[in-house]
Amino acid sequence: MTIALDRRGFLAAGGAFTLSFVVTPPARAQQAATASPWTAYLTIGADGRIALMSPTTEMGQGTHTAHAAIIADEIGVPLNWVKVDTPMPSDPFRRGGSMGSGGSAGVRAWWDPLRKVGASARQSLVNAAAAKAGVPAAEVTILDGRIRRGGRVLMSLGEAAKLAAAAPPAEGTPRDPATYRYVGKQTPRVDIPAKVRGEPVFSQDFTRPGMVYACAVLSPVWTGLARQINEAPALAVKGVQKVVAFPGGAAVIASTQWAAMKGAAALEVSWASTDYDGLSSAAISAAMLAGLDKDDEALEARADGDAAAALAGAARVVEADYEVPYLAHTPMEPWNVTIEPTADGGLELWGPFQTQDRNRNTAARAAGIDPAKVKLHTLMLGGGFGRRLGDDGLTSAVLTALAVRKPVKFFWRREDEIGQGYYRPAQVARLRAGLDAAGRVVGLHVRAAGPSMQNSFSPAGLARGKLDGTSVHTLADTLYRPGAYRVDWVRVDQVVPMAPWRAVGATQNGYFMEAFLDEVARAAGKDPVALRRELLSHDPRALKVIDRAAEAGDWGKPLPAGRARGFAFVYSYGSLCAQVVEASLENGEVKVHRVTCAIDCARVVTPDGALNQMEGGIVQGLSSALFEGIEVSNGSCANRNFDGYRIMRINEAPTVIETHFIENNEVIGGIGEPGLPPATPALVNALFALTGKPIRKLPIMAQLADA
Amino acid sequence: MIRLTVNGKAVTVASEPDTPLLWVLRDELQLKGAKYGCGIAQCGACTVLVGGQAVRACSLPVGDIDGSVVTTIEGLKADDAVQKAWIELQTPQCGFCQPGQIMSAKALLAETPRPDDAAIDAAMAGNLCRCGTYVRIRAAIKLASGQAA
Repeated sequence: MTIALDRRGFLAAGGAFTLSFVVTPPARAQQAATASPWTAYLTIGADGRIALMSPTTEMGQGTHTAHAAIIADEIGVPLNWVKVDTPMPSDPFRRGGSMGSGGSAGVRAWWDPLRKVGASARQSLVNAAAAKAGVPAAEVTILDGRIRRGGRVLMSLGEAAKLAAAAPPAEGTPRDPATYRYVGKQTPRVDIPAKVRGEPVFSQDFTRPGMVYACAVLSPVWTGLARQINEAPALAVKGVQKVVAFPGGAAVIASTQWAAMKGAAALEVSWASTDYDGLSSAAISAAMLAGLDKDDEALEARADGDAAAALAGAARVVEADYEVPYLAHTPMEPWNVTIEPTADGGLELWGPFQTQDRNRNTAARAAGIDPAKVKLHTLMLGGGFGRRLGDDGLTSAVLTALAVRKPVKFFWRREDEIGQGYYRPAQVARLRAGLDAAGRVVGLHVRAAGPSMQNSFSPAGLARGKLDGTSVHTLADTLYRPGAYRVDWVRVDQVVPMAPWRAVGATQNGYFMEAFLDEVARAAGKDPVALRRELLSHDPRALKVIDRAAEAGDWGKPLPAGRARGFAFVYSYGSLCAQVVEASLENGEVKVHRVTCAIDCARVVTPDGALNQMEGGIVQGLSSALFEGIEVSNGSCANRNFDGYRIMRINEAPTVIETHFIENNEVIGGIGEPGLPPATPALVNALFALTGKPIRKLPIMAQLADA
Repeated sequence: MIRLTVNGKAVTVASEPDTPLLWVLRDELQLKGAKYGCGIAQCGACTVLVGGQAVRACSLPVGDIDGSVVTTIEGLKADDAVQKAWIELQTPQCGFCQPGQIMSAKALLAETPRPDDAAIDAAMAGNLCRCGTYVRIRAAIKLASGQAA
């Protein structure tokens, strides 16, 4: 994936890379990295233009821009001199042995390494220019892409790059961030112009000469296998060339994408029965709720003091059960991948990859070849939200490509993008809080129950008896101190496949905790914000976030009749985030008027990009609260397209979203995910304030319809 | 033979008449700006203009629009006010839905040069954005229409 920042400059630079001082074609990146850790990342052309290999996948979260800003500031060049590309998997780009993006790590994990990379490039250029000019390196600087000494320009960046190419690379020390020109300032996203022009940047748009299309026909029942396939009706469709069967279904091969889809609709497949043919949402729900009573199966996730004793001795106990359904990620681009078998028996892949090594290894395993023979190119993702962390469609795609023996774009229809799963898990929780006579919280027990996402998603699975940390995410690591505190989890597995969904366990557990705290506040006769301040009185950083959101969100101030505010606070991915949602009910529909967000992520690298992430996270959190849930029926997903799986539309989106960032010298926190979790309970709490009735099950609209 | 004018050029369509316009554009004319998102006119990623009206190209058989003038995102002028506003306000995140959003906005502004929030919401409700850029879409449409965002 190449992004043209400054198109003319990019074209001009295209021919000059042979003169660059570090030539690191992707295949050699690993080797080059051994010599000098930073050379894998940067190529500087004779015209001074810089090609940056960014270790993260761009899916609209803006990390490529953040990385370009860091490099531009460290070296001292205009931002549009840095062109960003995604490398093939190799060691310099791996974290924990694998290349991939996730966990809101794009900036917080790469902030220090990329500053070091940029600083070392700057030092190498400075040293080379100083040696040539016969002046001390300490007197040489780079500003606006020129090598300077005092007020005088010594040479261009490109000239210095040519000299540096012949000299040993130097180690540099990162600049003081206070001197940065782009980091922390309004920085236009590098990927936006091409997207707005409608250029073919996405995996769906990518073509290869001689490419054919393969439309997947997959079992509607999870784990289902085809019993019998009648190819004839598909082959009768004009343009259809072939049907390729694989475990779990088939692919219809055609010269155009439409012919492949038409053929797929015509293909007749009868599916073998499975053990799950009768599975339903009601059965899953009942099994999870039953799990809440299984004390002997509960795995401890946190135990501060004796919660059972605190609850037994409490003046009053508040108790409630909560439930959430499976959620689909629904990135707007249905999954697809382009695969070309190569002359050497290998494979070349182009796709919307977020876990490059996982996908490369899976492709190699499916083809029975060494991973070194798989060349994997990352294209722009048309949304991720966690769905592109997996590799579940790839094996079928590789088997299809090997059967077709030419370049093939293997794709899913929307119905499979939603229906095949890898969902945010369904989960239930029972929360019990003990209050003393004065209404103070003296103990809290949270019992969660549900399937293990980790077991479903991670290739190694999760052994029975082991805790799935994602099931208690933001419960076990909460900043609240509710006196004696116990968190435990009962595993209730289902066949339904699961994966991380933006903000992972924080989505369900943030809702459980925050909605319940409002019930506790009501029982104790306390203001919801005041209760949270009591539970966070030990944590000045958290209190500041709470206070900023409450103040900016006009907490406690009068409202027009029929409107109410709700508050929530969730700490996730190293960031503290509080939100106030102002909502009303109009003709049975929920209207969200205003969302006010305060987030402490310690440092903001691209302010407008961070703002965009907050806005998007809030909309997704509200969308899941109001509308979303997989309906399981007859062992499959019943709502497989946007007519059944409802997500938020513009007419349902908040009128106003405002975000306040809090910066300090703490460890840098994430931005892609932490904005989402508080939005769900803040809305639920606004409706609780409005109606007096708690909402203990999502989505809200289904609850309102049942009421 | 079905004839269209696509982005100002006369085109004779080879695809069968029941082929949805989206696939004539993507498969035959190699115009990849309009996207496949749902195939059932629910998400709007495939939105293009036919005779100036925003349509869901995934569900419109090309045989039904013989002789029509079609405009896709690729057909907008280099200094298009809507695209400029989209860039100015840094509207896209992943960007996959945005060509469809922009084409719906073009149709809206042609009909209603200075839309308020209610008019924007009504005209844009057929275009989903999972990244949740709705607040910026509203502001960008106002900016393109010369109203303070």
